[in-house]
Amino acid sequence: MSEDDTRGVGDHSPADDCGHSIDELADYLATGSSPYEGHYRQCPQCQSGLASLRSLGDLTRSLAEDDARIAAESDGWLQDILSNLRLETRAGRSIPVASDDPDDGLSETEGAVVALIRRTGDGIDGVTIGKCRLHGDITEPGAQTRVELSVTALHGYRLPTLVDALRSAVAEALTTHTELDLQGVDITVTDLFGTDGAGEDQP
Amino acid sequence: MPRVTPPERNIQLDALPDVVLCERATDGDTAAFEVLARRYGPMMRGYAVRLTGSTADADDAVQETLIHAWDHLGELRDGSVVKSWLMRICGRRSIDIVRRRREHADADSLAEVSDSSPTPESATISGSGLDALARSLEALPAEQRQCWVLKEMGGLSYDEIAEQLGLTSESVRGRLARARARLMRDMEGWR
Repeated sequence: MSEDDTRGVGDHSPADDCGHSIDELADYLATGSSPYEGHYRQCPQCQSGLASLRSLGDLTRSLAEDDARIAAESDGWLQDILSNLRLETRAGRSIPVASDDPDDGLSETEGAVVALIRRTGDGIDGVTIGKCRLHGDITEPGAQTRVELSVTALHGYRLPTLVDALRSAVAEALTTHTELDLQGVDITVTDLFGTDGAGEDQP
Repeated sequence: MPRVTPPERNIQLDALPDVVLCERATDGDTAAFEVLARRYGPMMRGYAVRLTGSTADADDAVQETLIHAWDHLGELRDGSVVKSWLMRICGRRSIDIVRRRREHADADSLAEVSDSSPTPESATISGSGLDALARSLEALPAEQRQCWVLKEMGGLSYDEIAEQLGLTSESVRGRLARARARLMRDMEGWR
């Protein structure tokens, strides 16, 4: 980017002929506007100054990428962090389960039911469950409940077939493992995934 | 359709887009959260090392960021911006850690320590331009370096930097100008 003699951009100061400092140019790059835009476009000195500022910014971002690459190469530090996190699964609400002895007070957690739904969905090829919510007064025995799912479908699968399969699998799992009165499973396909052909070799 | 114990398809998580991982993590799926942590952890750590000048502080910053993210992921309306959301939290935590440490130590002696000790990474950076920039950045006074890194690596505006560092926009502008002058001088030979 060397413009023969005008190289020393650091020297570009109000003392120079055009009168626009490198700091002013940096403000222009940061804010995207300046009353002198027209001048910058024509002035070789300002053009050279802008180019230097951009390349210093680009080099800083390359350094950031390099930092990230190096950090990714040795992930012991990340392992430590992840094991320190000791992530707790959110248990959520408590769902009653009937028992022969009413004093037993059996229940299962909302988190366990959501995990069950997720496992069921993950077992169906071509679909991945994102959001999973239970709607209804599920802390009451036999509560009327709707399940809301948002799913990502793999490219190359027929959507109605996928959605039907998911709906009946979830319904069956819930009927088997809970006492919720399932009113319906509302499924929204939020995204198609693998449109770059990843799913194409599977019918 | 498979009914009995479905096969594990966890390998797929790695390939899922941020939005889906966020939804799953918000619902308590720790595996999905770990994929996000792996996806953006290295980037956050690099950023934090540049801001704090120390790998130990950077690890603390990344850990605090992930804990905060796990607790507040549900407040993120749009999962597709999780990367910039994480980077923003990480920047804030890094600055907080430096500030906290400064409250425990004499500011001057600390600035000297953090500014003169090169980070372990710098030794392994290949490519002379990056190496020179890394050294030049490390030689800057902490606040100038932070302003520069927040702006050029974090993409923050003058006002946002001012808010994070508790400075006025004008003094951010001044620090950036000094950092720039120094970096340009140091990098003169590399252009």
